[in-house]
Amino acid sequence: MTASDVVIDFRHVYKRYRLYRSDKHRFLGIFTKRVKYREVFANRDLTFKVKRGESLAILGKNGAGKSTMLKMITGVAFPSSGHIEVNGRVSALLELTAGFDPEFTGRENVHLRGQLWGLDKEEILALEKQVVEFADIGVYMDQPMRTYSSGMKARVGFAISASINPEILVVDEALSVGDKAFREKCDRKIKEIMAKDDVTVIFVTHSSASAAAVCNRGMVLEKGKLVFDGSIDDAIEFYEGPREQPLVAEV
Amino acid sequence: MAQARQAPLDLLAIRAKRYGATLVDIVREHRDYRKQIFQLAAVDLMRTYRGSALGWLWAVIKPSVTIFVYWFAFSVGLRAGKDVGGFPFFLWLVAGIIPWFYMSEMLTQGSTNFKRYDYLVTKIRFPVSTISTFVSLSKLYVHIALLLIVVVLFILFGYPVDVYFLQLPVYVALMFLFFTMWSMFASLLSAMSKDFANVVSSFVMAIFWVSGIMWDVNQISDPVLSKVLLFNPVTFLANGYRNVFIYKRWFFQDTFALMAFLIMLAGMFGLALYTFHRLRRDIADVL
Repeated sequence: MTASDVVIDFRHVYKRYRLYRSDKHRFLGIFTKRVKYREVFANRDLTFKVKRGESLAILGKNGAGKSTMLKMITGVAFPSSGHIEVNGRVSALLELTAGFDPEFTGRENVHLRGQLWGLDKEEILALEKQVVEFADIGVYMDQPMRTYSSGMKARVGFAISASINPEILVVDEALSVGDKAFREKCDRKIKEIMAKDDVTVIFVTHSSASAAAVCNRGMVLEKGKLVFDGSIDDAIEFYEGPREQPLVAEV
Repeated sequence: MAQARQAPLDLLAIRAKRYGATLVDIVREHRDYRKQIFQLAAVDLMRTYRGSALGWLWAVIKPSVTIFVYWFAFSVGLRAGKDVGGFPFFLWLVAGIIPWFYMSEMLTQGSTNFKRYDYLVTKIRFPVSTISTFVSLSKLYVHIALLLIVVVLFILFGYPVDVYFLQLPVYVALMFLFFTMWSMFASLLSAMSKDFANVVSSFVMAIFWVSGIMWDVNQISDPVLSKVLLFNPVTFLANGYRNVFIYKRWFFQDTFALMAFLIMLAGMFGLALYTFHRLRRDIADVL
């Protein structure tokens, strides 16, 4: 395994949130260390590597630290301690309805996003064409996004995220938006992206069935800790089976 | 013993290095995203003026109304508007209030950048240090457009452009620099606490009246007070625009005023760097 094969490298990553009693305390906490706060760890000592082309399922209950971890992979949140290295363009299908300027039309938001990514004019026009085709929301494409239904926002959001040829695709299962036909369309698109063997996929879910269908490696998070890392079948067994069971292949 | 004495110095060196690294990060982010900064400035501008029937005209109407109201209150109401240095009070007022429009926008809107652009902080991977820069740039476009109108106005009143106008870019640049750094500092703090944004917005009017935009700072007779007032960057900048249009003085002629401003600029730089260094990693967690 050469270094360039590793696309995600977590080394002893902790994410700590400081909970203050109120906004006022948090504000004072910037300037002095004497303000009291409670510390909550969303992630504790996460150490793992993900290789190029792997498809990894992250299993865990609510509050296990999955979203925090994904935010750190995406680069919008930072670890409190530890080291993270991510090589490659990350496209996150986390909150599809977020990340848009509500005052702008769908089309303008596509352009805005293209500009944020630093694409040139032609690339943006190509992106726009793809998004218009995939989202398929007709004349609403030229209406301000604040007038969109959540389903329409999700359509545009998914279309944009799926169209940037990601090297690392982060899929949150909370993706179950829109009607059945569109969901199937999304599933096909995700499978299509995953079929390219250089794309690394991180799939987050509570449900083991969908993880088994897509992934070959599984990780189980519990209370912010990585409690299991192995093949997807073993991970599902670990996640669903009784906890007293001896750990088979803990890493 | 030697070790004990060395330790605080080492700590200081480590800290300096960290802040230096943050500064390098900021510069690098601006270099890598320079294309996006200009595009986003245009986007921010569009966002401000769209959705209203008169659109761009508002950028001119609002300041015009403000100027008219102050002119009316002072000249007609208080009968205080006397000519200054051979220029009508109206022109003297315009010269000093034009930079204030930019400054007041930066004081209020410029301190809520992270709230208005929260999706750039929490949803997309984007260099947060550039947000204040493009917002400031977008306001600067409006300012420069207004400034051009003012130059035309002076010409129409029969006061042609002279050599002192050459220093306008200096004042524009100093103002941009100071308020962009202010905006980074204030946006970070107001993202952490709603109180901060409220404090700022309730002080804007106070700043306007103490900063010598409606009265002539050079007329203050108390020698100590007149020096103290010069440490107010708003005063320095408003007075600077009047140096160009009315008083016909160079920015380096009043060394004390320039030094006072540069000290405040350095202080603002320190504050902005300090808060950015301390808070940039937390900002996505609290928004």
